[in-house]
Amino acid sequence: MILIMTVPIIIACCVVVAGPLVAAAAAQLPRWRDAPRPPAVAGLLVAFGAAVSIAWTQDGSGATELGSQLGGGSTIHVDGVTATMLPFVAFCLVVVLGTAPRRCLDRRATAWFLVGAAATFALFLTAHPALIVVLATLTALPVWRATRDEPGGRPAARVYAWTMAMSLLCLTIGVVMLLADPPWEQGSGWVGTTGGWIVAMAVLIREGIVPFQFWYPALYAGSPLPMALLATVPQVGSYTAVRLLVGHADGVAGELVTLAHLAPVTAVYGAALALVQRDLRRLIGYLAFSQSALVLAGLAGALPMELAGGLALWIASGLSLTGIGIVAAALEGRAGPLRLDLPQGRFWDAPALAGFFLVFALAGLGLPGTLSFVADDLIVAGSLADHLHSGILVILATVFAGIAVIRGWFGIFGGPTAVDALRHGILLRERIGFAILLATIIGFGIMPGPLVKTLERASAALLQHRHDSLLEVSTVTSGADHP
Amino acid sequence: MNSAMIHDLVSLLVVAQLAAPALALVAIGIPPVLGRPLREQTTTRLVAASFAVAFVAALIMLAVLAGRGFTPEIVHLGTWFAVGHHEATIDLVADGLSVPYVCFSTGLCLLVNAFARKYLHREPGFTRFFVLLVLFGLGMNLMVLAGSIDVLFAGWEFIGISSMLLIGFFHERANAVQAAVRAFVVYRICDAGILAAGVVIHAAVGSGDFDKLFHGAWPQATCLVPSSMATAIALLLVFGTLGKTAQVPFSGWLPRAMEGPTPSSAIFYGALSIHAGAYVLLRCEPLLDAAPAVGWVLVFIGGATALHASIVGRVQTDLKSMLAYGSMMQAGIIFVEIGLGWRVIPLIHVVSHAILRSLQILRSPSALHDRHALAAALGGPPGAARSLVSLLPEAGQAALYRVALERGYEEMAVMRLVVEPFRRVLTRIDAVERAWIDWLGQRRLQEPLNSLRKSHQERT
Repeated sequence: MILIMTVPIIIACCVVVAGPLVAAAAAQLPRWRDAPRPPAVAGLLVAFGAAVSIAWTQDGSGATELGSQLGGGSTIHVDGVTATMLPFVAFCLVVVLGTAPRRCLDRRATAWFLVGAAATFALFLTAHPALIVVLATLTALPVWRATRDEPGGRPAARVYAWTMAMSLLCLTIGVVMLLADPPWEQGSGWVGTTGGWIVAMAVLIREGIVPFQFWYPALYAGSPLPMALLATVPQVGSYTAVRLLVGHADGVAGELVTLAHLAPVTAVYGAALALVQRDLRRLIGYLAFSQSALVLAGLAGALPMELAGGLALWIASGLSLTGIGIVAAALEGRAGPLRLDLPQGRFWDAPALAGFFLVFALAGLGLPGTLSFVADDLIVAGSLADHLHSGILVILATVFAGIAVIRGWFGIFGGPTAVDALRHGILLRERIGFAILLATIIGFGIMPGPLVKTLERASAALLQHRHDSLLEVSTVTSGADHP
Repeated sequence: MNSAMIHDLVSLLVVAQLAAPALALVAIGIPPVLGRPLREQTTTRLVAASFAVAFVAALIMLAVLAGRGFTPEIVHLGTWFAVGHHEATIDLVADGLSVPYVCFSTGLCLLVNAFARKYLHREPGFTRFFVLLVLFGLGMNLMVLAGSIDVLFAGWEFIGISSMLLIGFFHERANAVQAAVRAFVVYRICDAGILAAGVVIHAAVGSGDFDKLFHGAWPQATCLVPSSMATAIALLLVFGTLGKTAQVPFSGWLPRAMEGPTPSSAIFYGALSIHAGAYVLLRCEPLLDAAPAVGWVLVFIGGATALHASIVGRVQTDLKSMLAYGSMMQAGIIFVEIGLGWRVIPLIHVVSHAILRSLQILRSPSALHDRHALAAALGGPPGAARSLVSLLPEAGQAALYRVALERGYEEMAVMRLVVEPFRRVLTRIDAVERAWIDWLGQRRLQEPLNSLRKSHQERT
């Protein structure tokens, strides 16, 4: 069911994008030059509020649209996926910016972060293929720039630039071919089919699916952690897949089956390699792409349960990754890089950080009482019903990831502590930010019903969209047969 | 009282079993998050109150159900979440298995809380210990009262996480950290079995509820799924329980787990956690009845574990390790009993062994004092019991001694045949990946770490 967009929703959409941009401009004013956090957080909070208001008006079963349509997608498109993902992404970015160490947030870095956030929000509000290409490019640029500005970050920026360039090139060519000859319409030829495969390739690269996984650990190793989170938590590749592939799955079935097979393999690969990492940043990088692969495994599935599980894991893993990332940034801000070769004995430095890190890490790996438990249950059940081997791989991935996280936790916080070591404790803003994030994770875990229902409706709407496309094609066919 | 009133009363009591530790967890867990941990006395009082409420509720429930011949009462607390036909319900069950077990487990938690109050006085991780103890109590009650595989798995995971964190309680000790990681690795691998069993149950009966899987009251319940499906589920469950019950070949973590504080060792590895697997198998006994081959698998594994633990336990030079092997041996025998199709005997064995072993572990810090007191009373050291090993020829005794010293070569085999090759492969893949990233980035990615380290050193 497509509805015409009302004025309040249009205004809310504009505020979501404008909030961070205005904040980025405000951060350049002399008053905020040395302390850009307050306007930046305010801008993101405004965007978050607007995103929540959009979600409030959206019932999840239909979509509201505005603007010109191209290949089935309008300029502004708000449906169940937007309604759930936009507030979640905005929330994560507010927490990241609100709690990141001051070292990571100078004027320039804050501005890049906000521009990247605005581009990400804009991307989540559109289904227009051309705009998706443009905005996907805009989301990558600030991350590349900020990584390049980081001391010693140039190699990571170069790896990121190469992979993103490859992904965006594939996306552009694929979208052009898809639009020239849509495979979900009657009588399409090889151009559209090839376009679908090239778009799938772009998604594979952007989501770090094997063999394109390498940019995740590289980015985490060399980039400021808030920027690495900005690049990975929203999962731009998954969104692209939802809009360009999942919604038209009958036309691009082969691509989705390939994604559904490769994603669980990637999840296992990432979680297994996380077991042998020697520093925390790379460990987080491997876990991040392992989790994003699980999301894609769910989204590429053929059952509503898998789709809903994929969307739930998108949120759960994003919240968890945000938590792990900001605690790691806080720890690095206190005592430098975090090695895992030998136990670092950081527990007494900041016991509260140890507790938060543990809960955030377990919350991403199916701890009962957290949203990831629900998401894992749906994905595993759906995968086992869909393809047995995928289900087994998903279970294996959760096993490895759990072990890697606990090894990492004991590596950082376990071990002897020097008697005269500094005791840093935890800052008030960190405590507030982490506690809010923790409450969100546990709240959704204990009472997942409403969120899961919304995600189920969003999945059903996506599947209905496929069904409608198919119906349209069959109507055209029967019309052609019986003039 | 009519049936409806009894059902309402039992529902209330079952909810109290979960609500009491959950509220205590919130009450003592949230203040440290806000930077205001409670005083020691307040912490222990809250924990004691929660376990006391749960214990009293369990006793009332036992009396009510005993008066009705232990007719099972299913308490449906609602649907946790549902997508299409897949739904996770919060179903709890009060029957002849769960109610006596929950009385025993909450009572034991209450006693250990009283012991730990003084044992851990002024310990830096005092609040942490009690948070984990309450989390364990909550997990145990969830698992015991579970009426569906989803609730059982949730409780099972809480038990595993609290166990791992208590093994690593003294995290400044390298041994404790290694033991905690080792235990968690075993737990996590075996938990996959329970998770997969849950998914297969959902696929088989469309829900995780036990009342759709079994028919009738414990221990006479019958299985409602075909034999082949029952065999698959039972095998997965058996695999899932091997880890926490420290059965061969997953037994190496148990003696090392004694690195944790004595009260937690007593309740986890002497009493409750070590028998969690046996409880799960007793709960799912209709599956074992429908899959006799799995029963023989249990007999084989349990027998091998009991023999292994009996031999290795004899050469241990510290008391807690010896007690750990003692627990392992009894858990193996309980597995044999379950595999043979007995139901009430394993339950009695679990309860009696748990009480005896937890007492022994709690007394272990005073073992020397006790021995001296005994020697003084006897007028000399007590004599050693004659072992069956002495019947073997001398060469056989020496060979057995070597095997025992090497812990039956079990861990060595697992490390050499599974862990090391796996680690080598992963390390090589990681090296290739690093080389590729270095080539693509044209400079070594170690540099960011080095520059961060340098800038940090400059700042400090």
